[in-house]
Amino acid sequence: MMPGRIGNLPIANENPLGLSWHDSAWIPLLSPSNIMDYFSERSNPFFDRTCNNEIVKMQRLSMDQLQNMTGLEYILLHVQDPILYVIRKQHRHSPTQAIPLADYYIIAGIVYQAPDLASVLNSRLLSAVHHLQCSFEETMSYSRYHPSKGYWWDFKATKPGPSPYNTGQSSSKDVSSTPKEEPSTLFQRQRVDMLLAELVRQFPLPVTQAPSQANGVTVKTENSNEKSNDKAADGNINNITIKQEPVDPSSSDMTNGGLQGHTEIKTEIKQENMKPPPEKKPRL
Amino acid sequence: MEEPILRYEKIDFLGEGQFATVYKARDVKTDKIVAVKKIKIGSRVEAQDGINRTALREIKLLQELQHINLIGLLDVFGQKSNVSLVFDFMDTDLEIIVKDNNIVLTPANVKAYMIMTLKGLEYLHQNWILHRDLKPNNLLINREGILKIGDFGLAKAFGSPTRINTHQVVTRWYRSPELLFGARQYGTGVDMWAIGCILAELLLRVPFLPGESDLDQLSRIFQVFGTPNEETWPGMKNLTDYVQFKIFPPQQLRHIFSAAGDDLIQLMESLLALYPPSRCDCTQALQMPYFSNKPAPSIGSKLPMPSNLSKIETDKPSLKRKLLESIDGGSLAKRLQF
Repeated sequence: MMPGRIGNLPIANENPLGLSWHDSAWIPLLSPSNIMDYFSERSNPFFDRTCNNEIVKMQRLSMDQLQNMTGLEYILLHVQDPILYVIRKQHRHSPTQAIPLADYYIIAGIVYQAPDLASVLNSRLLSAVHHLQCSFEETMSYSRYHPSKGYWWDFKATKPGPSPYNTGQSSSKDVSSTPKEEPSTLFQRQRVDMLLAELVRQFPLPVTQAPSQANGVTVKTENSNEKSNDKAADGNINNITIKQEPVDPSSSDMTNGGLQGHTEIKTEIKQENMKPPPEKKPRL
Repeated sequence: MEEPILRYEKIDFLGEGQFATVYKARDVKTDKIVAVKKIKIGSRVEAQDGINRTALREIKLLQELQHINLIGLLDVFGQKSNVSLVFDFMDTDLEIIVKDNNIVLTPANVKAYMIMTLKGLEYLHQNWILHRDLKPNNLLINREGILKIGDFGLAKAFGSPTRINTHQVVTRWYRSPELLFGARQYGTGVDMWAIGCILAELLLRVPFLPGESDLDQLSRIFQVFGTPNEETWPGMKNLTDYVQFKIFPPQQLRHIFSAAGDDLIQLMESLLALYPPSRCDCTQALQMPYFSNKPAPSIGSKLPMPSNLSKIETDKPSLKRKLLESIDGGSLAKRLQF
C-alpha cells in the first residue's frame, strides 16, 4: 500500500485498532472546517501522507480536484457538531466510484479507527469462547469420581489450590472489595438516575410496585454480599457465593463492577451447571 | 534537396525573437511537423562572429547527439545569408504544465517526467556535455507525452581540468550554490541541482527557491538546507565569490514536501546536496529506490496536456513563447547572457 514509506513501518505493523491519537493543542479549536486539517497532522498515525488530499494540498490546488483523481483519499463523512466527526478513507476509481477502506471517528478530539465487523465478531467470539472454556475448567475441578460411587459434585471441599480458579477466587475477593470502595462518578450516578427516572416515567404506577420490592431485595443482597465477602475471608467462599447468587445474580454482577468481570461470569455459569446435581436443589 | 527551403512547408508562424524567427512547418519529404528556427544574421555585433553563438552551440552539439529525451536537430540549411535549424516539433513544455492549475500532477506523472529528464541528461553527461540551463521551460513535451530536453544554447563540453568556465550560467532559481559562490570549475552537479529544483517545483507547483538576487538565492537555499560550514563543504571558503552567511539550521524536506514518500525525499536530498561532490549523478539517481517503487511512472499517453492546448495550437502555440524566450533571453532578469 505504501511503498514510498520507509520510516513508518513500526506504526504500520501495529494493529491500528489498538491505537488512538490526539493533539491536545487542537482539541478546543476543532470545528467541521478544520477537522480535516487536524486529521492530516503529520503525527497522526492514521493519516497516510501520500494520499491525494496531501498531494492536492502540497500542489496548492483546489480540493475539488480530488473528484478527478484516482487513488487514496480521505473525506469527512459525518459531523455531529460539537463532539463527533467521522472520516472515511477510500480508494477512488472514478469521479462517481469510490470504495471505502476504513472509517475513523474523532470523539472529543481523540481519533480512533472504527473496527471492521470481522474484528468485532472475532473479538466477541474469542472472549465468549474464552469464558466458556474457563467455566468448563472450573466446573471440572468440582467433579469427583470414585470407582464405587461413580461421579459426583463436590463443592464443599476447600481445595487448597489444585485449580487455578481457586486462587483466582481468593484474589477476586480482594479485587471485589476495591471496586466497591471506588465511588461511581457524578456523571455515572446522574446518568443512572436519569435512566431510572425515564423508565419510571415510561412504565408508571402498578408495574413499579413489584420492581420496587425487587430493588429493595437487591440492596439487601448487596449488603449481605459484602458481609459474605467478609466472612469469605475465612476461606469458605464457595458455599456462600453459591447461596448468594441464585437470589439475584444480576445484582451481584452490578455490585462487583467491571474489574471482576471474569470471575463473576465464571461463577454465574457455574450456577447453571450446578443445577443438574439433585442434592443441591433442596438447599436452595 | 538542392533547395532545402522547399522541403519545409511553412504552416504557421510561431514567434520571433532577437536572434531568430520560428515557424511551424511540414517536412514535405517525411510529412512530419517540425519547428524551423531561422537564425537572423545579426546586423550589428553578431555579424562579426558570423553566426549567433547560441545557435552555433546548438548546431555543434546537437548534430552529434541522438537520444529520445533530447530535442532532435533534424536538419540545418542555409538560404541566402540565413541559417535555419530544423527541430522536432514539441507541443508544450513543463513550465506550462506546472502553471496549469487544472492539472493535478500525480506521483506517477512526476516520476515519468523525472525518468525522461534524467535519461536524457544521463546521455548528455555520458557524452561529456553539460546543459547548464535546465529549467521547466526547457523541458519540452510533445503530444505523445515524451519529454525532451531542449535549448542547448548554453550547453558546453566539460571535464577538462584546466578549462575555466563561466559561473554565470543557469537561470538563477535553478542555479547551484557553487555557481552562486562563483565556482569556475564545476561538473554535472550544476545540472543535478537544477533537476532537484525542477522536481521540487513539480511537487509544489511553484518555484522552489525563487531568489530575487544572487545573494537572496543563496540565502533561500541555506534557509532550507542549512548554512554549510567548512566541515560540510570543505573548500567552500576558497570560492571566488564566497561570503559568510547567517547560520540557518537545516529544515526537514519531508515537512516542505508533505505528500512525498520517503523514497522521493531521499532522491531529492541527494539531488540537492549542498556539497557538489556528494550530489548524485544521473545514473545513481536512476538507480534509487524511488524509480523502482510503486507507483509506476505514467505512460506517455496518460500524461496531462494543458487543457487549452488544442486551441492554443491553432493560433498561438505554446512553443512560441518558449522559443521566443530562449532566443532573446526573455528571462533576462533571471539569466545573465555571456
